[in-house]
Amino acid sequence: MSHYIPPTHETDPDPLQGRSALIKGDPSFAEITEAVARPIEMPHKRWILFFLPALALLSLLPISLGWLFWEGIGVWGNNVPIGWGWPIINFVFWVGIGHAGTLISAVLFLFRQKWRTSINRGAEAMTIFAVICALIFPGVHVGRVWAAYWLGPVPNQMEMWVNFRSPLLWDVFAVSTYFTVSSLFWYVGLIPDLATMRDRSKTTIRRMAYGFLAMGWRGSHRHWVNYESAYLLLAAMATPLVLSVHSIVSFDFAVSNLPGWHTTIFPPYFVAGAIFSGFGMVLTLMIPLRVWFKLEHIITIKHLENMAKIILLTGSIVGYAYSLEFFIAWYSGNEYEAFLFQNRAFGPYAWGYWIMMSCNVITPQFIWFKKVRTNPKALFVLSIFVNIGMWFERFVIVVSSLHHDFLPSSWDYFSPTIWDVTLFLGSFGLFFTLFLLFLRYLPLIAIAEVKSVMPRANPHFVDPDKKPASRDHHASHGEVSAKSEPEPEPEPEPEPEPEPEASKDEPEAKEEAEPEPEPEPEASKDEPEAKEDAKDASESDDTPEAEASSEDHAEDADADEDADEDEKEEEAEKLLFSPPPSDKTDAKKDGKDNG
Amino acid sequence: MPAIFPRWTNTLPVVLGLIAPILGAGAIFTVWYWFSPQYTDVGYQPAQPVPYSHKLHAGEMGMDCRYCHNTVEYAAVAAIPPTQTCMNCHDGLVRTTNPGGPYEGRIANLKKSWETGEAVEWVRVHMLPDYAYFNHSPHVAAGVGCASCHGRVDQMVVVSQDQPLSMGWCLDCHRNPKPNLRPLDQVTNMNWDTDAENYDPDRDPERKRKVNPPVHCSGCHR
Amino acid sequence: MGKRPKSFGLLAEYETPGDLYHACEQVRDAGYAAWDAYTPFPVHGLEKAMGLRASLVPWIVCVMGFTGAALGFLMQYWMAAVDYPLIIAAKPLNSYPAFVPITFEPGILFGAFGAVFGMLGLNKLPQLYHSLFNSKNFARVTDDRFFIAIEARDPRYHTEDTTKFLEETGALSVEEVED
Repeated sequence: MSHYIPPTHETDPDPLQGRSALIKGDPSFAEITEAVARPIEMPHKRWILFFLPALALLSLLPISLGWLFWEGIGVWGNNVPIGWGWPIINFVFWVGIGHAGTLISAVLFLFRQKWRTSINRGAEAMTIFAVICALIFPGVHVGRVWAAYWLGPVPNQMEMWVNFRSPLLWDVFAVSTYFTVSSLFWYVGLIPDLATMRDRSKTTIRRMAYGFLAMGWRGSHRHWVNYESAYLLLAAMATPLVLSVHSIVSFDFAVSNLPGWHTTIFPPYFVAGAIFSGFGMVLTLMIPLRVWFKLEHIITIKHLENMAKIILLTGSIVGYAYSLEFFIAWYSGNEYEAFLFQNRAFGPYAWGYWIMMSCNVITPQFIWFKKVRTNPKALFVLSIFVNIGMWFERFVIVVSSLHHDFLPSSWDYFSPTIWDVTLFLGSFGLFFTLFLLFLRYLPLIAIAEVKSVMPRANPHFVDPDKKPASRDHHASHGEVSAKSEPEPEPEPEPEPEPEPEASKDEPEAKEEAEPEPEPEPEASKDEPEAKEDAKDASESDDTPEAEASSEDHAEDADADEDADEDEKEEEAEKLLFSPPPSDKTDAKKDGKDNG
Repeated sequence: MPAIFPRWTNTLPVVLGLIAPILGAGAIFTVWYWFSPQYTDVGYQPAQPVPYSHKLHAGEMGMDCRYCHNTVEYAAVAAIPPTQTCMNCHDGLVRTTNPGGPYEGRIANLKKSWETGEAVEWVRVHMLPDYAYFNHSPHVAAGVGCASCHGRVDQMVVVSQDQPLSMGWCLDCHRNPKPNLRPLDQVTNMNWDTDAENYDPDRDPERKRKVNPPVHCSGCHR
Repeated sequence: MGKRPKSFGLLAEYETPGDLYHACEQVRDAGYAAWDAYTPFPVHGLEKAMGLRASLVPWIVCVMGFTGAALGFLMQYWMAAVDYPLIIAAKPLNSYPAFVPITFEPGILFGAFGAVFGMLGLNKLPQLYHSLFNSKNFARVTDDRFFIAIEARDPRYHTEDTTKFLEETGALSVEEVED
């Protein structure tokens, strides 16, 4: 009981939250900074190994775009019934992938899912790069690329405005808004970390570059207040945005009058599919990265498992949507709809359909098994299948609906040309190049955010070891003890209203909380005692909690956690900073309340 | 460790904040003005293989437009005349022009065309994009003067584009055609002045139908 | 006064969020006005300890968001029904149900601009130069150290007394930073 054991195992609870710690091994703040920033500062041989192939893939992009601009979109396999071929498939594919980042950033932030902090930066970067890749395709599909600015309402002497009744225009607004807001969200999140990089940099160029991008961030708490408010609001606005964007992408199809597209299920089904594919891509990227960058203690198995669960959920929604489409095709009694779905599953594109079904519906079901969802290698393979399956989903939707349209004489089969393939590979090249550049120059993990969810970030946390959180001890031990506990009394509150809930829970605590006239610093001599007590409190906190705070606890404790936050703070403060006449029953009771 | 940036850099955001809106407005103005047919197309005056002067023929000699562009009343395209049309008058000139004389160089291509039977390669001045469908005949039938779109061709030695022919310019007239309508027998009259004549197409007994130009997309983009 | 002309103020360094929290409470109660805490991450509850008011950013976002949505709708109405009235698919010129997506998106876009630029504006960022960057220790503010700076322009500021006061709050070190 004399020794605080830092949480090293998954089920070890964070002493203040009563939940398992997100970051393994109880690192200090400096160690977090070091772990994230070190790979960026070191020359990375392995990085070059990946960067060169990515550049090679990227070189396909200007070539295939150049040829496309020179010749026109006839170089693609698009033909008359299938006017939307690979370009639109690739567009929807990339936009779908681009949904996980903002989902992780915004939705999980609003739900106070703290595990997001380890993966949000990378996922947001992935989002932005995926949306850039997506924007290429409709941009060049207009044919006359030099007139692509007609997509926007730019004042012009044609005296012509865009058609606001067209879902394609909604798409222009939705995707460009999404890109802008995601970029802002990403950048705002980056500012404190850019400042960290600035202050660590050794060379002038790096100091200038990071310093310029960090905009003079100095961690002022008056700034943090506005910053956190802005971040929360961005998350609150990005959440409906992320839902709207893929709904609007689905309107491109659903608003048109074609069997196979014209269904009301499209918006929710597309949103679920987008999250599904986005998390697939996040896993594909993060599983190797956490190994190469030695970040296994920050991006833990728990993170992968959580993402796998989201994949399972959204994959099941997608599977449900597939079957519902079939049901409606039969139940509606519409023979064209029925024909289309028969043709989809058993017609000339049956191969595409069954690839889609097996990758998107069957593969995620393996996640039900804990052995699968806690095994990074299995998850990696699974995520590749998800990526493939989601590309084929768009292929099936676009091609199998169009190839047998209303006029049987123009029915045709679609085959891509080499230029379709090179452009698609080129977009992958762009994606990987951008992502690798991001890995090379920007912190992959949101350093400040990870620090803020660590137990020791809580001002009420007491480290009984007094393990110095610094790289070097430039404070002598005497100084530490002198400063650490100026007064054992609770500080005089400026607003002398004690929380009513807290007060009825423990009347003694209330008494203590009453402002004492000027506490004397001489009290430092009874500091050890106080510390001992706090330790006990946290220990006694541990034992009942360890069982109670297993998985399901972690799932749904958020709502009450939120509501109780103030109360809890109050209590925790009393628990850890007041030197109460050692009263363990009270502490125990508190511990329970906290959960 | 001194600070990275000197103190004056703190004025940069203000400067950038002032410049950014100007750049944004500049970009929009660039598109609006420099990307427009008003800027890119008006005044287009290519050199022609034969220095035919509309000023001389249509202006001073008073030839009717339809003498050469004879399909304009009935077809989508106002025909470019074949060499034969020139030869109706110029047969003698072509045969008698002295080699080395003042007109030799000017009509060399015409002469060649007449001898070889190959058309003179006139350079097209008024060009619409392929996705805009334009038909001369209904415009002539509605009483839109040639000069309304082509300008005072009777004063041009070398023909140039007078109007932008942009979509907005088309629409101005399609929405409010009256100011550009004239009596049906005045269509080719270059000197006819709409304002001076104070003409009201609604009261013209010669007109059988009201002019009702299309303003929907497929009126021109078919 | 012991105020030297070239001094920005005093910078006190703390080791843990807890130390900083309690120091902030003391600085607040001592009545200082021109002071601030500096942390590598947002320390929760510190605004209470510092006695700060709530952020103005939500109001900016609210105004900007509704402005954006209104502008989005008016833009569509003006372009589709006033400036270029064009009948498409037999729909009314002001076919407002179809205008919903592009009313929503600019609302979000302007709201996001309001959040980001409002935050930057309230924080007076970008501010590439700041006197505190002259302190060597201060580089650790983005890593693992916590600071309080009391500025020389504060009426209660007195170099010796304030130094002593800060040392008593449990600072690891207190240094004077030049302007």
